[in-house]
Amino acid sequence: MKASRTLAIARKSLGQIGNDRRTLAVIVMMPLVLILVFGYGFGGQPSHIATAYVNADQGPEGAALLAHLPSGTLDLSRVATPGSAYDAVHSGEDWAAIVIPANFSAHLLAGNATLTVYVDATSPTVQQAVMGAVESAIQGLFSKGAIRAPVVLSPSFVYGSGNETYIDTLAPGIMALVGTFATTMLAILVLVRERPLGLLERLLATPLRPSEFVAGHALSLTVVAAVQSVVLLVAAVLIFQASFAGNLALGFLILMLFALGNIGLGMLISSVSRSEFQAVQMIPFIIFPQLLFSGALFPIDSIPVAFRPISDVLPLTYAGDALHSVLLRGWGAGGVLWDLVILVVYSALTLGAATVLVRRQA
Amino acid sequence: MEAIERFEGKRTGRESDLRDGGTGQPGTALACHGVTKRFGGLTAVSDLTLEVSRGKIFGLLGPNGAGKTTLIRMMLGLLSPSTGTIEVLGERVPSETILPRVGYMPQSLALYTDLKVRQNLELFGRLYGLSNALLQKRMAKVLELVHLSDRGKALVSELSGGMQRRVSLAAALLADPDLLLLDEPTVGVDPQLRAEFWDHFRGLAREGRTIVMTTHYMEESSQCDEVALLHQGRVLVCDAPARVKEVAGAATMDDAFLALVRDRTRNGGK
Repeated sequence: MKASRTLAIARKSLGQIGNDRRTLAVIVMMPLVLILVFGYGFGGQPSHIATAYVNADQGPEGAALLAHLPSGTLDLSRVATPGSAYDAVHSGEDWAAIVIPANFSAHLLAGNATLTVYVDATSPTVQQAVMGAVESAIQGLFSKGAIRAPVVLSPSFVYGSGNETYIDTLAPGIMALVGTFATTMLAILVLVRERPLGLLERLLATPLRPSEFVAGHALSLTVVAAVQSVVLLVAAVLIFQASFAGNLALGFLILMLFALGNIGLGMLISSVSRSEFQAVQMIPFIIFPQLLFSGALFPIDSIPVAFRPISDVLPLTYAGDALHSVLLRGWGAGGVLWDLVILVVYSALTLGAATVLVRRQA
Repeated sequence: MEAIERFEGKRTGRESDLRDGGTGQPGTALACHGVTKRFGGLTAVSDLTLEVSRGKIFGLLGPNGAGKTTLIRMMLGLLSPSTGTIEVLGERVPSETILPRVGYMPQSLALYTDLKVRQNLELFGRLYGLSNALLQKRMAKVLELVHLSDRGKALVSELSGGMQRRVSLAAALLADPDLLLLDEPTVGVDPQLRAEFWDHFRGLAREGRTIVMTTHYMEESSQCDEVALLHQGRVLVCDAPARVKEVAGAATMDDAFLALVRDRTRNGGK
C-alpha cells in the first residue's frame, strides 16, 4: 500500500463533497437534526398528564398528599364525585383520576387507608408515570408529620448523581445511532456511483490497488465522521446540557472507531449493489434492527429474552455500551476494552471484505 | 490484507529495474497468443493472436460486439483470458509493474463529473506518482492539447459530451505512458481537433511510444500503421491499412471489411 495513492483517493472524495454545497450542508445538518429529533421527540419523561382528582377527606392528609405530587408530572383538575372521576377517564378526557376517600386521614393513622387511582393503562408509559407520581406523593406523606414509614428506602448512586435527565442517559446511544446513520449512508452514496460510470475500472487500470482505494475512502469518510461527531458532542453538551462525567476525547475516539467500521459496511453494501436504488434499499435493514435491538435507545433488558441474542451481533450494541460507560460512568479505556476489541474486529472485517469485493469487481 | 501487502511489497521492489527497457522481446510492445474469452455461453474473443511493435499506432477495428473492448480490458489485466496469454511491455498480464507505464482511456466517460477538470487530472497524476511540479507541467500540456486550457476549473458535468471525452483523453495522456490503450478516443470529437489528435499520436509514436486504439470509424483507421479487423472475436486480417484494402480488392476500409466478412462466411469459417 502506498500512502500517496491512498491520499490521492482521499483528496478526490473530499473534493467531491467540497464541490457540492448541499452535501456539505447535509453532513453538518444531519447529525444536528437527528440529535434534535431524538433528543426532544424521544428524550422526555411524560409530563403534564391530564389527571382528574376528588378529595373527600375531612382531615389534612388528603390535601397533603396532593401537595406532595411531583410538580409538572400531572395536570390536575378537580371533579366533584368519585363517579365523575371515573367518567373523566372513561370518556377519554383524562389519562387518570385520583380518588381520596372520606376519612382518608383517619384511616391513614389507623394504618388501613385506601387510595383509588383510575388509570387508562393502554399507554404503559403514562400509567407508570402516574403511578410513580402517586407513590412518590405517598412517600412524601411519611417523610414528615405524625406518621412514619416502616421502611425507608435509601438509594446510594454507584454512578451518576441521581439527577440525570433522560437526555443525559440517552445521549451516548443517540450519538452512536446517528453515527451509524450518517457514515454508513454517506459511504454508500459516495461509492455506489463509481462502478456504473466505469470509474472503478479506470482507477484499477492505474497503479492504484484495491486496498488503497478502500483505505483512501475510509480516510476521507473518517474525516467527515469526525466533523459529525464533533457536531454531535457539541450539540449534546450545549443544546441538551448533557452532563458527561467521563472523558470526551475517549468518547470521540470510540465514535471514530465505530465510524470506520460503518464506512466499511457502507462500502460493502455499495459493492454488492448494482445501482444507487438497490443500495439505498439496504439502509432500513441496517438502521432498524440497530435502532431497536442495540440498547442505544431502549435498554437491552426491555427486549424479550428470546430476541436478546440479536443485540450481541449488532456493532452498535458495543459502541453504545462503550460510550455509555465512558461518558456517563466515567470509565477509562481499560473498562471498555472488550467493546473496543469488537469494534476493531468489526472495522477490520468490513474494510477487508470491501477490499476483496473491489478487487473482484474490476 | 497481509497477502496484498506482501504482493505489493514485491511490486515496488521491482519497479525501478523494469522502468528502463525491461521488455522481454525488444521491439514488441504487446503480444496476444491464442487468447480466448468466454462469458458463460458467449465467446467474446476467440483464439486471437496478434503482435504490436513498439512505436506503432495499431488500430483494432470492427463493429460493435466484435470483441475490441474485451480485448483491451484483458490487455490491462482487468479481465483474465479464459485461455491464452498476453504480454504487455514484456510482462505477462496481469502484472502490476506495467500499469504505471500504460495509459488507458475507456469507452465510458469514467471521469468524476462532480469534480473539476483539474481535480480529475490531479487525481490521475497522483495515482501515477507524478510529483507536484511535474503534474502541473503535464496538466498544462495535455489541457492545451485537447483545447481545454481555459476550462480547468469547470466541473466535468458542465462540459459538453465532446469536451468530456477530451478530458478523458487528457487523463490517459497525462503520465506520458509508454503504451496507450485508447477505446474509441475520437468519438464525438470534431474533425479539426481529430486531425490534431492524430498529429499528436504520430508524434508520440515517433518518440517510441505505442498506441493501440479501437474504433468503428473504418476510414479513420487508414491513419494507423497497422490494423486488425475483428469480427465475432476473431482476427479477419492484420496488416497495414493499404495492404488490407489491396488484399480485399476494395477502395475503402468499409468495403474491405464487408468483403472479408463475406469471404469468411462463404468459406464456412466462423
